[in-house]
Amino acid sequence: MASLRATSRLFTAARPAFRQSIRSFASVSDTAKGGAVPPSKTSTIKEPTHDPEAKIKTFHIYRWNPDEPTSKPRMQSYTLDLNKTGPMMLDALIRIKNEVDPTLTFRRSCREGICGSCAMNIDGVNTLACLCRIPTDTKQESKIYPLPHTYVVKDIVPDLTQFYKQYKSIKPYLQNSTPPPNGKEYLQSKEERKKLDGLYECILCACCSTSCPSYWWNSEEYLGPAVLMQSYRWLADSRDTKNEERKSQLDNSMSLYRCHTILNCSRTCPKGLNPGLAIAEIKKEMAF
Amino acid sequence: MTSIVRPAMLQKTCFAAASRRAFSTKLSSNPATNPTSVLSRKVVRNTFARDAVPGSMRVAAFHASGRRSLLPALPQVVQGTANDPAPVPTPSPSHGSYHWTFERLISAGLVPLTIAPFAAGSLNPMMDAILCGTILIHSHIGFESIVIDYIPTKRLPKTRVLFWWGLRAATVLVGVGLYEFETNDVGVTEAIKRIWKA
Amino acid sequence: MLAQRAAQQSLRRLAASQPSMLSQMAFKNTLKPLAIGSSTQARPISTQKLTPTDSYEILVAQRKNRPSSPHFTIYRPQITWLNSIMHRATGAVLSGGFYVFGAAYLVSPLFGWHLDSATMAAAFGSWPVLAKVLAKFAVAMPFTFHSFNGIRHLVWDMGRQFTNQQVIRTGWITVGVAAVSALGLAVFV
Repeated sequence: MASLRATSRLFTAARPAFRQSIRSFASVSDTAKGGAVPPSKTSTIKEPTHDPEAKIKTFHIYRWNPDEPTSKPRMQSYTLDLNKTGPMMLDALIRIKNEVDPTLTFRRSCREGICGSCAMNIDGVNTLACLCRIPTDTKQESKIYPLPHTYVVKDIVPDLTQFYKQYKSIKPYLQNSTPPPNGKEYLQSKEERKKLDGLYECILCACCSTSCPSYWWNSEEYLGPAVLMQSYRWLADSRDTKNEERKSQLDNSMSLYRCHTILNCSRTCPKGLNPGLAIAEIKKEMAF
Repeated sequence: MTSIVRPAMLQKTCFAAASRRAFSTKLSSNPATNPTSVLSRKVVRNTFARDAVPGSMRVAAFHASGRRSLLPALPQVVQGTANDPAPVPTPSPSHGSYHWTFERLISAGLVPLTIAPFAAGSLNPMMDAILCGTILIHSHIGFESIVIDYIPTKRLPKTRVLFWWGLRAATVLVGVGLYEFETNDVGVTEAIKRIWKA
Repeated sequence: MLAQRAAQQSLRRLAASQPSMLSQMAFKNTLKPLAIGSSTQARPISTQKLTPTDSYEILVAQRKNRPSSPHFTIYRPQITWLNSIMHRATGAVLSGGFYVFGAAYLVSPLFGWHLDSATMAAAFGSWPVLAKVLAKFAVAMPFTFHSFNGIRHLVWDMGRQFTNQQVIRTGWITVGVAAVSALGLAVFV
């Protein structure tokens, strides 16, 4: 006990230096109270007082560690003071990783919704963490899962190998066997170019595909909304001449026609695109 | 700041704390059984300003995939390398575009056929038979779709074949039954009307 | 960095005043480099060279351990997919009933069942009124829902009504119209 008191005094001395770093902490516990150390002895090393205006919000995050393959995935809870956190879910995740738990694993890169790395299921909806505001209602606890029905590499990092392989299978590049008329490039009219709007902006974050129940059950064979929308992007391109080949690739019961117009895809797209409409256009083109 | 703590060390502290506090938000450090360990933990926490860690984390055991789901995902197997494209199935329009168009035509045809008995009160035997036949085909396509969606060939090849042919047999059986009903009784729409008004 | 400096400082003071205390610490190995200010870290891991084949095999083995993330249990209930699953469920129930009746009628002579319309109408007519209304509603609701949602699907197949607002609006309209018309069919017809 004596040694303990000594340490506590030591830390009291060092406290001003700590203060700043501790203050920025996500949440504070009351370890100092109760337990082995009587409160009277430890009052000097108590945690910085709670900010009376702190907006503490709880985040439940899906965790699974590949280093412990036999353990089940679990939900871990973190609390953050929203006053000290940026406005977006990604800010919260980064803050947890930086200040609370460095073992938390997630993908992120651009933090502005153009790379598609931080796609995850937040509060039950697939979205990009960097474009998703933290609901300021602190009573409501946020839940963060990886993209639904994906294999989990670690924590909220899903394995998207199959998704990318499917993307590759639709040949997502311009195919034109005739040389350009002017010898330099294939020209498009403004109207022809306009057809690609709402298609080319897709960042392949896989939010839509993994929100699709049909893709959940048949991701082996069904291509899913994101890949089909990209397929339509090349079908709709006036410069591409392999339309028939592209269509015949989809002309089987699985690749395209597992789409049952559920429209979770359009509902969830963080970029505001409409994969459901693109698929409907493919079906229309192929119908007659 | 985090770099100065060995992750393994941190993990140990976290888990030691967390396992004791499973299912509780409040941090209640239990009266120490081992003074040195408590002391050391206290010091390490203060030194690294790590107090926030265990208090803010709550670990609860949880079943990610829900209670035993009907068709739990199999262990992940990826065919080929990540750079190989997914295999493209051979085109078969009769299961693809023709099938889809036919399905839509049947569905669209059902709209007037469904309204007709409400408008006319009942249907003549011919129309009634057409309605029944269309509903039968529509049902068959619907069931087929359910079988394709929920009984994947790769996963359950035998069950799939069983259901596939079972469904076809059932459709034929029901078709014959409905033919009997149409020829021996008053017709489906008229029968429903009579029962409904009974 | 500030905190690191402070930690270092306090540890040094601790060591100076209570040398025995420091040695008690279980984690002295971690803290020692910190206290003496050296920045080198002892890492408990070692690396080894791997051929591409080996690393691929490790990946394949690791994939097999991966859990599948939760899906419909955690996905937010939305009118889009709830209506879709209800469409399938109501269709399956109606068609299931249709199939059961068709098959039962075919085999009824073998078992002596009376499934002709007159007998069934008489049997149903003998039910109490409330039971009749409930039974009618239980049949009418799937029928109206599947019909109206089917029309919604046909509109989609023409490439219309695809914006999020339109999908949500038509979804709720379908539910409302189906409920009202089913009630009408059950009570007034």
